[in-house]
Amino acid sequence: MSRCEENKLVAIVDDDDDVRAALHGLLKAVGFSSHCFESAEAFLSSGYYRTTRCLIADIRMPGMSGLELQARLNAEHCRIPTIFITAHGDEEMRFKALRAGAVEFLPKPFDDQVLIESVRAALHC
Amino acid sequence: MTNGQDKTDMEARPAWHFARRYGLALASVGAAFVLESVFLHFHLPQAFGLFAVSAIAVTFWYSGTAPGVFAAVLASIVRDYYFEPQISTDSRLLFDLVFLVFALLMTRVVKERNLLERRVAARTAELMRSNDELKREIAERNQAEYLTGQVFESSPDAMLIIGTDYIYTRANPVHARYWGRPADSIVGMSVTNLVGADFFEQKIRPALDRCFAGEDTRIEEWFDNALGRRFLAVSYSPLRRGSERVEAALVISRDLTEHVLASEALRQAQADLAHANRMTTMGELTASLAHEVNQPIAAASTCASTCVLWLTRDEPDVAEAREAALGAVRNAKRAADIINGIRAISRKGGSRRQPVDMSELIQEIVSLLRNEAQRYSIQIRAELDADLPKVVADSVQVQQVMMNLIMNGIDAMKDVDQPRELVIRAQPAEDRQLMFIVSDTGIGLPQQTNKIFDAFFTTKPHGIGMGLRISRSIVESHGGRLWAAANPPRGAGFYFTLPIGTAIEADGKE
Repeated sequence: MSRCEENKLVAIVDDDDDVRAALHGLLKAVGFSSHCFESAEAFLSSGYYRTTRCLIADIRMPGMSGLELQARLNAEHCRIPTIFITAHGDEEMRFKALRAGAVEFLPKPFDDQVLIESVRAALHC
Repeated sequence: MTNGQDKTDMEARPAWHFARRYGLALASVGAAFVLESVFLHFHLPQAFGLFAVSAIAVTFWYSGTAPGVFAAVLASIVRDYYFEPQISTDSRLLFDLVFLVFALLMTRVVKERNLLERRVAARTAELMRSNDELKREIAERNQAEYLTGQVFESSPDAMLIIGTDYIYTRANPVHARYWGRPADSIVGMSVTNLVGADFFEQKIRPALDRCFAGEDTRIEEWFDNALGRRFLAVSYSPLRRGSERVEAALVISRDLTEHVLASEALRQAQADLAHANRMTTMGELTASLAHEVNQPIAAASTCASTCVLWLTRDEPDVAEAREAALGAVRNAKRAADIINGIRAISRKGGSRRQPVDMSELIQEIVSLLRNEAQRYSIQIRAELDADLPKVVADSVQVQQVMMNLIMNGIDAMKDVDQPRELVIRAQPAEDRQLMFIVSDTGIGLPQQTNKIFDAFFTTKPHGIGMGLRISRSIVESHGGRLWAAANPPRGAGFYFTLPIGTAIEADGKE
């Protein structure tokens, strides 16, 4: 388990500081280390996306949205297992996200256990 | 009148007048002759001179100078031929001279008499004139008195006169009706007995005292009288009957109850409309607000789960659990703050003005609307100085104005190409006011810019066209102005002013 945690990086992209901090804390409690980004642009320009094994992203953000980020990563053939979390998701958006390869689509507030299981599944731990 | 008539008589019958005047000379001298003849017959003392002088005097007095002289000549002839013809020429001349001198004297007397008569006539005419004048004055005064009385009695307003001893000296029927008792019974009554001691001391007496000091005074107050609870506007005017000292107060009171109730109903309707506008705006924002509230709730929930995870480990990490629990508390509080903000905007209630920190108020709204703006890729920027002076305002109402303007800006930019930018600025304006500017880069204003402030004017598919109308009435009720202008190179700018004020001034205005 410890080997899995060290090597497999989780990235969190959300414009809300508190949500970001909460997610970081949650992952830390279950033993995953994570990096936080306040926007899709920041994530892309950091270069972390090359090593990220699991991405947790908000859908609606200033600038590039979560879905746009996913499309961008897909275009670069960088298929990171992605879990979307959103405060106002609808079925259409959910369908669009899952079709583009998302592993999970969680409306806020979400069940943390489900999120943890999804992360675990993405990391194959 | 009588002079005129005499004159007419004289002109009408000059011959008769002439005959009468000279006839009197003939008659009086004839009478003297008869008397002298009788005296002679009875051997009485000879007194023709006396009779003749009397005849001349009478003629002069009643017929004037010419007949008088004629009488004197006639008397001389009569005396010379009928009486004492035997006396000497000297004596005869002396007698004639006496008659002549007497005649001259009588001429003088008649002249004096005529002068006196003319004076008397002049004085009489003068007296008549002033008498007429007096009569006219009295008539005018009666008329004025009558009109004043009519005004007093039939005025639709209550009218009364109160003496400096606070006793009614006059009251009209309307005032009598106000208090449900005859006007006669009010006169002589003291004000305190009619309106009640407390009310008199608190409201009426101060107004009356100012009036008695010479000042026109006005109060507007709810009175409990025979007609129920009535709102009366009462004016107190000092009465100084000819002297400098105020002797009484003329009180006129108008019943404005219906008017006041109508304006209260109007104010209530405006408040209801403003509330409806706020609710509509909040309705439009439901999705954004749900997101806004969901964020901290999600974060709080995650923090709580994290806390549980730390505590349920084989070796519980209390420090980490504590950290997570604090995060949960912070996020729950943030959610509560947002809900309170929404509730404050949706609140329904009376207007309350106090110093408002506009910078803080604008930041709150911007954070509430940030998500709505993001939905349409709109940037909201508040460029405000940290040391912005406070304004005197009802914060809920001003929030509503800001909200309406920002929502309008967002609507105007939904369908335009990038960049979509909404900027809020503030700067000092004239008359100790602060000007706020909300500018967007949207579709801009219609040709007839001012039409946008009309009720039911809207360019939005689901708008009711009340937002700007309500915003303008809110700003104007604060003593400010709200207007719009183009925001070059494109978009619109909305400007409004609010009075700058400190706590003390605000208390004064309350």
